[in-house]
Amino acid sequence: MSSNDSQLRAEQSGASDDSIQQVHAGLQKQKPEKADGYSMLPLVLLGLMCCAVFFGSIYMAHYSLRFDPLVYNEHANRAKPGATAVVALTRAQLGKKVYDTTCIACHQANGMGVPGQYPPLVASEWATGSEERIIRIVLHGLNGPITVEGKDYNNVMAPLGGALKDEQIANALSYVRASWGNNAPEVTPETVAKVRADTAGRTAFWTSAELLKLP
Amino acid sequence: MNPSAPNARTEQIEIDASARWPVLAFFGSALLWLLLGGVMQLAAAMQLHLPDFLADCAWFTHGRLAPAAQNALVYGWGMNAAFAFGLWLMARLSATTLRHGGWLFVAAKFWNLGVTLGVGGILAGWSTSFELLEMPRFVGLLLLAAYAMIGVWAVTTFSIRNTENVFASQWYLFGAAFWFPWLYAVAQVMLVRTPVRGVIQPVVNAWYVHGLYALWFVPVALAAAYYFIPKILGKPVSNYYLASLGFWWLAVSSAFAGGSRLIGAPVPVWIPTLGIVANMLVVVGVVIVALNLLGTLSGRYAAARASLTLRFILLSVAGFLLAAVMNLALSMRGFAAIVQFTLLDGLRDWLTFYVCFSTAMFGAAYFMLPRLTGREWRFAGLIKLHFGATALGVVLMIVGLAAAGWTQGRLLNDAAVPFADITKALSFWFAYRTVALAVLLLGHLAFLINFVGMACPFNSHGNAPATFRTPPELGLVKGEGHA
Repeated sequence: MSSNDSQLRAEQSGASDDSIQQVHAGLQKQKPEKADGYSMLPLVLLGLMCCAVFFGSIYMAHYSLRFDPLVYNEHANRAKPGATAVVALTRAQLGKKVYDTTCIACHQANGMGVPGQYPPLVASEWATGSEERIIRIVLHGLNGPITVEGKDYNNVMAPLGGALKDEQIANALSYVRASWGNNAPEVTPETVAKVRADTAGRTAFWTSAELLKLP
Repeated sequence: MNPSAPNARTEQIEIDASARWPVLAFFGSALLWLLLGGVMQLAAAMQLHLPDFLADCAWFTHGRLAPAAQNALVYGWGMNAAFAFGLWLMARLSATTLRHGGWLFVAAKFWNLGVTLGVGGILAGWSTSFELLEMPRFVGLLLLAAYAMIGVWAVTTFSIRNTENVFASQWYLFGAAFWFPWLYAVAQVMLVRTPVRGVIQPVVNAWYVHGLYALWFVPVALAAAYYFIPKILGKPVSNYYLASLGFWWLAVSSAFAGGSRLIGAPVPVWIPTLGIVANMLVVVGVVIVALNLLGTLSGRYAAARASLTLRFILLSVAGFLLAAVMNLALSMRGFAAIVQFTLLDGLRDWLTFYVCFSTAMFGAAYFMLPRLTGREWRFAGLIKLHFGATALGVVLMIVGLAAAGWTQGRLLNDAAVPFADITKALSFWFAYRTVALAVLLLGHLAFLINFVGMACPFNSHGNAPATFRTPPELGLVKGEGHA
């Protein structure tokens, strides 16, 4: 506390109202004299303003969620409603279309084939086994007896190598190997192209005996 | 336009004489509300650690007492004090007398009638559910009508000014004179007369509460700080060329900041986001005001300490800066997630209303009232008690509520802690807050006694007449008043 109590009582003013207004009216129009050549203050303030506006804008853009009146959570999905995005599909997903137009007639939509007529693909040791064999079957067809899941079949599968491209074959086979509980690795178009090149001269159908010699 | 000093002094005496009775009426009612509101606030605070206290009387249950105390303090103390100080300063800086003060007397009666009915209505159980708008429906019109008379006086006093120039304090007072009726009328129409639906209600309420503090109480406090610091130190405001930028920056950005009170609330998320961004922008305005005010004070702290008014103004400036920090901190979503709905959350508005605004009014009163009554303060001891209790109470409240709020927030966010345990853990802090509020109330009581001793017409012979030396012209000392 002040040593002099009378100072604490009636406050004395250090400037008249009139002079306060006049002096400040002058100060408002002129910046302070530059003490040593250059004043940092306006620059620092401008920097602060820019930072506030810049950071504020980023924050606003990030958390306003398009000013959507129905979005109440700042962590909601930021994509526009109805916006479409490119979704990468697996070979198995792409292959369903090929299977549904080409293979489905004999092997059926559920991959179970027709008992006694067309062998099943579900859990089949052929379908989930060697890529080399099944690519060859699709390329050049199959004729004669074949044992699948312990049951004998004797029928003809048409060659599809002329009708389907390498990629379509790879996709269809990948679909078969990944559907209905099958879980075998997908087949790549490069493998199909390699097999097609290896068997370029062949025109006859394959037989199961021939195929079983392959790895 | 540039009268010699003795003439200026004579004019000031005329201005003070014209303002005397309206200002004393407003300030006297303000102090009565400060004490009454403080007692209710103290009782409401006691109920949180002594649940039996007044629990059997419906009128004084916590749900009624707490909002009644808040409304008595805000509309009774805060508004009356702001009217008293604002009208006086507007007349002073406009160099014109306060004309037809009798009407202001009538307006003061109507305003206080409205507040009395409002606080009584809340206690009787007729409150609305909106923060700071709890007063019953009919009170709103009465308050607006009374305010119209008071606000018009401030604006007309400004418009018939005898000065060429306008000072920063006048911008803030003039702005606040328009912002309050805008805020209050819009909130009354949208929440009480023809209520808007659904989530718009809390949005309007948050906008009003934030606006009332940031666009009414803060501008009045800043008007006091901008006036008294150069007035008493005799030194121009530093970097004054920035002051108008600070004024506009604060006015525009804080008008949008209300949404930050709704973080996590079920409202469209862009509303709190806008409020948060506005609070980030407010920082620039706060920095400018701090450069102005603290820059002026720098190097003159010894002189500032010698002046009672400036001691209170220093508290007020510190409160302004702390409140800005609290607003920014509570705008951080991570921090708000912990401390929202705790004692720390309540500290934000208390800092603005009490530490920034109320202390500025105390400081202003110590300068203004001896000039209005022409008498000295009667009891020097009570002055010391008032300042000491205020400073101590402010420190106790800030430190205690910050620590208590942080503890409370941590406990509330821990799902393993049962709610009853949190209440038990906090009962110490509730008692602590009661003590801090009691310390503040003691200071207010000292101030009221001193005020009565000075202003009461029947009991003023004990006071020595005050003497004021003629103030010198404000000079620009070389190297001072500049950066």
